[in-house]
Amino acid sequence: MWTWFYKLASPPYVYGAAAALTPWFLVLAALTISYGLVAGLAFAPPDYQQGDAFRIIYVHAPSAWMSLFAYSTMAVAGAIALIWRIKMGHAVAAASAPIGASFTLLALVTGSLWGRPMWGTYWAWDPRLTSELILLFLYVGVISLRSAFEDPARGDRAAALLGIVGLVNVPIIHYSVLWWNSLHQGATVAKLGKPSMPGSMLWPLLSMLLGFMFFYGAVLCMRLQGEVLNRERQAKWVREAVQS
Amino acid sequence: VSSGFWSMGGYARFVWPCFAFACLVLAWNLWSARRYRAAARLRAMRSLLMAAGGES
Repeated sequence: MWTWFYKLASPPYVYGAAAALTPWFLVLAALTISYGLVAGLAFAPPDYQQGDAFRIIYVHAPSAWMSLFAYSTMAVAGAIALIWRIKMGHAVAAASAPIGASFTLLALVTGSLWGRPMWGTYWAWDPRLTSELILLFLYVGVISLRSAFEDPARGDRAAALLGIVGLVNVPIIHYSVLWWNSLHQGATVAKLGKPSMPGSMLWPLLSMLLGFMFFYGAVLCMRLQGEVLNRERQAKWVREAVQS
Repeated sequence: VSSGFWSMGGYARFVWPCFAFACLVLAWNLWSARRYRAAARLRAMRSLLMAAGGES
């Protein structure tokens, strides 16, 4: 296990693995998102309370899940980089931040559009919405902090620290609907016991979630290749990599 | 395709913008990641060319 872990510290290995994985992730993302869209928009029955407006869940829930997943990946990669001094951890964290920020924005916009017909308002200072907005600010802070220093190594360390501190917001977002009175509905899938959805609605949702994860994997790998090249510009192996 | 599908039971003005924005975000992610990788590759090539020029 440790051999595999140490391999991840090697920039040529990370670059090669990211290049090899990208097309697979893209194909899997295209397949799962296509199925999720067709099944969710055309074949899933309307919700008995929300009607067809519930179909927003097929982009809202996966983007919200991915906003948390990308943030956790960024924070864990930053922690690995700080603790074991593995530079590739900073590269993964830097690659993950803009993708996570875009998913957070998507979750906020789609949530707002779903809130209007269901709650009668586009925005409320509700615990779930507010903590998700704080997540967006954390992403913006991490991205800005990384580029605020002349010395990139200092920027990496500062961004990793902010990312780790901000990780406390992730369980707050997840459990906010349980801890406080919230307009937002409770967990539908990620909860103990049976999901409160029939299979015809649930399978497209799980497929969309899987598709968004594959898509995140593909974009992360592409950005990671760029990060590795930027950081290892002077290395000998880069000559072969950029000429291939 | 039936008009009922496009009208989304009267919620079309909320449902379709969500899916359109999702497409936009996914497309932006792909475009910006490819652009970032291409720019890094170009910078690395320039750096290698400059290093080769310095050696000769």
